[in-house]
Amino acid sequence: MKNYTQISGEIGDLSGLPFWKKADAVDIAYVSYGLLIVTLVVVSYILGAFNLLPRDPQDIDLELMMAPPGTVGHLLGTDYMGRDMLSRLIVGIQAYFLPGFLAIAIALTFGTVLGVLAGYRGGRFETAITYFTNLVDSFPRLVLILLVIAAFKPDIYYIMIVVGLTNVPVVASLIKGKIQFLKQKNFIEADMALGLPTRTIILKHILWHNCRSLLIIQATLGMGEAILMETSLSYLGFGVQEPTPSWGNMVQVGANYFMQGKFWPSTAPALAILFTILGFHLLGDGLNNILEGKRNR
Amino acid sequence: MKNAPLLKIEDLRTYFYSKSKQAFIRSVDGVSLEIARGETLGVVGESGSGKSITALSVMGLVGGGPGVISGKIGFKTEKTRKNLLQDLDDHVKLAWDNGKIMGVDKDVVGWEKNAGRVMSGVRGKEIAMIFQNPKASLNPFTTVGSQITEAIQLHTDIKDPLQARERAIHWLSRVKIDTPRLRIDNYPYGLSGGMCQRAMIAMALACEPSLLIADEPTTGLDATIQSKITDLLAELKSELGVTTMLISHDISVISRLSDSVAVMYGGTVVEYGPARDILASTLESKHPYTSALLESIPTERHIKAKEHLRAIEGDVLDTVNIPAGCRFYARCNRVTDTIREKCERHEPDLREISPGHRARCWLYFD
Amino acid sequence: MPKTILEVTDLKKHFKHRKGLFSSFSEQERTIPAVDGVSFYLKENETVGLVGESGCGKTTIGRTILRLENPTSGRILFDGNDITAMPADQLRPLRGQMQMIFQDLDAALNPKMRIRDILKEAITVHHQASDEEVDRRIVELLEQVNLKKSKLSNFPHELSGGEKRRVGVARVLSVGARFIVADEPTSALDVSIQAQVVNLLRDLQQRLGLSYLFISHDLRVVELISHKVAVMYLGKIVEMGLSERIAHAPRHPYTHILWSSLVEKQSKEASRCTTRPHSGVWGVFDFERPQGGCRFAPRCPVYESKGKPVVCVDSASEPRLRDIGNGHQVACHFPL
Repeated sequence: MKNYTQISGEIGDLSGLPFWKKADAVDIAYVSYGLLIVTLVVVSYILGAFNLLPRDPQDIDLELMMAPPGTVGHLLGTDYMGRDMLSRLIVGIQAYFLPGFLAIAIALTFGTVLGVLAGYRGGRFETAITYFTNLVDSFPRLVLILLVIAAFKPDIYYIMIVVGLTNVPVVASLIKGKIQFLKQKNFIEADMALGLPTRTIILKHILWHNCRSLLIIQATLGMGEAILMETSLSYLGFGVQEPTPSWGNMVQVGANYFMQGKFWPSTAPALAILFTILGFHLLGDGLNNILEGKRNR
Repeated sequence: MKNAPLLKIEDLRTYFYSKSKQAFIRSVDGVSLEIARGETLGVVGESGSGKSITALSVMGLVGGGPGVISGKIGFKTEKTRKNLLQDLDDHVKLAWDNGKIMGVDKDVVGWEKNAGRVMSGVRGKEIAMIFQNPKASLNPFTTVGSQITEAIQLHTDIKDPLQARERAIHWLSRVKIDTPRLRIDNYPYGLSGGMCQRAMIAMALACEPSLLIADEPTTGLDATIQSKITDLLAELKSELGVTTMLISHDISVISRLSDSVAVMYGGTVVEYGPARDILASTLESKHPYTSALLESIPTERHIKAKEHLRAIEGDVLDTVNIPAGCRFYARCNRVTDTIREKCERHEPDLREISPGHRARCWLYFD
Repeated sequence: MPKTILEVTDLKKHFKHRKGLFSSFSEQERTIPAVDGVSFYLKENETVGLVGESGCGKTTIGRTILRLENPTSGRILFDGNDITAMPADQLRPLRGQMQMIFQDLDAALNPKMRIRDILKEAITVHHQASDEEVDRRIVELLEQVNLKKSKLSNFPHELSGGEKRRVGVARVLSVGARFIVADEPTSALDVSIQAQVVNLLRDLQQRLGLSYLFISHDLRVVELISHKVAVMYLGKIVEMGLSERIAHAPRHPYTHILWSSLVEKQSKEASRCTTRPHSGVWGVFDFERPQGGCRFAPRCPVYESKGKPVVCVDSASEPRLRDIGNGHQVACHFPL
């Protein structure tokens, strides 16, 4: 029988420490990797936007078709028309970066508004919003996107509006759930009793203090999803059209040469997609665990 | 004349490792108690005093999670005689770093297996437990009757479903549920809080356990229902002579039902003895915490004179940062100059201050 | 003669249960009368205790008076202002004077804000104040509720139960409350801390001249702190009067049962005789609300012993609260 009487040890109290010191090492790793990816994406986006590229991505060099990675001047090789892979990868970010933000903005804005209405006002609002979100949720997203493409044109911004709108229910239900949770704890009611204006209660106490981290997490997850959507549609030929590079259409074109042993034109963008989406998701996951404390509870 | 002890807890320590504080929360810190057959032991204390954790340790329910236990819980009936904590410690390793405990490495599966082996034939059969929240402790998806019947079939010799059902009806009427033949097919949501608690008691007693642990059986119920449940427990006690470990923060319930009382504070028993000594209205020869606790309850005298309650200043003890001296020192109002130094530096033992009545206070020894 | 600060007349709050979006067109609405015609008044510097079992509507009364719920009918006069249907923007300045202490310790405390910010926000809701003024007021509040200054930079989860309760009280005082609904302010606390809070509330009343509506199921505490006590049963006040009289000379059978259910009293009785009188009579505790007549009839020992008189269950004659002298009111056909 062991005796624990002697165990007192020194007490290292962590509860007062900032959150990153309390967090699990795994979560820290997730978030660090995610932040690295986000930084890479943002820097690449800026480089692309200002045209600070190693090569012109549209510059066709028929002498150097399908040059393997490591070729002088082409770090990641060239594609079937001799265009520089690295430059095209960097420029490919343009295809989803702003549209992704659009999707996130739409999802967060409408989701927050609906979520607050449903959670805070409740009653008939809640019922109506639940019906609406169920309706949106039950509609196959891809069909909706194809309909929009058919009705208008295969523009990435239209697609991202649809992606954003179809994400509204997720955000709305999260916000609604959070508000209902807070309501259970009575403190919203206490704020009302104190005579605080509704505006302050919603904006400051609910959204700023208690939904901030939730929204950040949703934003990162939403970006990952937007990238996935853009690349898959571009792969299918509905998204960004050649010759404008996008990771999706790069994979699609490159795949034709994969069986000939020329793996890089498709593998490089595919890996870029994989690591980027992984980055955004791990960032969201890690933030979720750290900020919302899922793992410690 | 005391009967032989049915349950004997010796130096029980149940610690939980808190990751965020990197230290042990010493929920139960050296508790020794005895329950003689036929006796009711009242355990009284505030939240965080370790009274519920003591009960859970006896039931072997400090399973998953970072809880570690040491000590001995001897359980002895005509048929069995065992230590309920046997070999549990083999499944725990502590990770040390520079004299600090950095974590607890606990083989939860092995622990549970071991606890299951030791507790088999004891939990539910020999020791039954009723909980504070009866509605939550009953399975909402099956009828009350089938839950009781199931327990009877599992733990007693009655295996025939019809017989077991009759037995369940018998126990439901025993705990004064009206029309037990109808109520037996009720789902828990159809019963009020008081009825659920009665059903829980019926379920616990249906297997005729040697020991009943009642953890806050009246808390959260309405005043009128509380008194009914207390009545019921008192009646069952006098008629069946169930050995009971009654845990409550409500001194009036404890005083109504207990033969002996243990007052817990900060994970230890600070006073232990016959109920009439401990809950007597004289404030002398008592642990200062007990007397302060008794004083802080409004009585006829306070109400008549509209006088202030004598509150215990300060807060309930934090069971992580346990002081070196007496655990109650910071809130104690009976420290005299002669013993002040001892109170601050050294923790007193639980020692007899009059026959059968023990207290953990320097006031009573030199 | 102290002024009347709150007057409630025939207050009703019925909750409607609606299912689905379109069910408002259907007839199948269930109405639950949580508060069903309650009248009382509260003077300055006075405490009225409100007792009753859970589900009798005592919390709903508190919330409706503060307009956290909108009343179905009736009238609420606060300090001479009719606030029954006052629009929110007119009500807001009055909110500072009427406050609520919630049962939930965490209620008033946004988990993501430090104590200092919580108090600062409350202070500046109704009054513009400079930073020095705020700081001075915070120090004053801390002193009033007996809280250490070092706790100001803590987050709510770092406080103990008693400290949380003190911050809650400080926040209520910071807006200049004169009338406070205290909804079970001690029930979430340990016995030793309960006494601290009861003492604190009584001190504050004496010092600041507060008026309390003290809602609790702890009869002892209510008796101690209240000047008057109102006993509620299923949405109605069945007896009201000075607290000594309610406790020691109750006239309504329900009040009698409530007070005799104090386990402590019983234990003395029980030691004398093993079976208490009436113990068989009060057996039915799960019952349907009667269709008409006296709400308490199905549980009432008097109704039983009088041979079930028709007047008790006659739907035309629900007993009204009537005065029986000394401001003692009772709603019973056959008061004890």
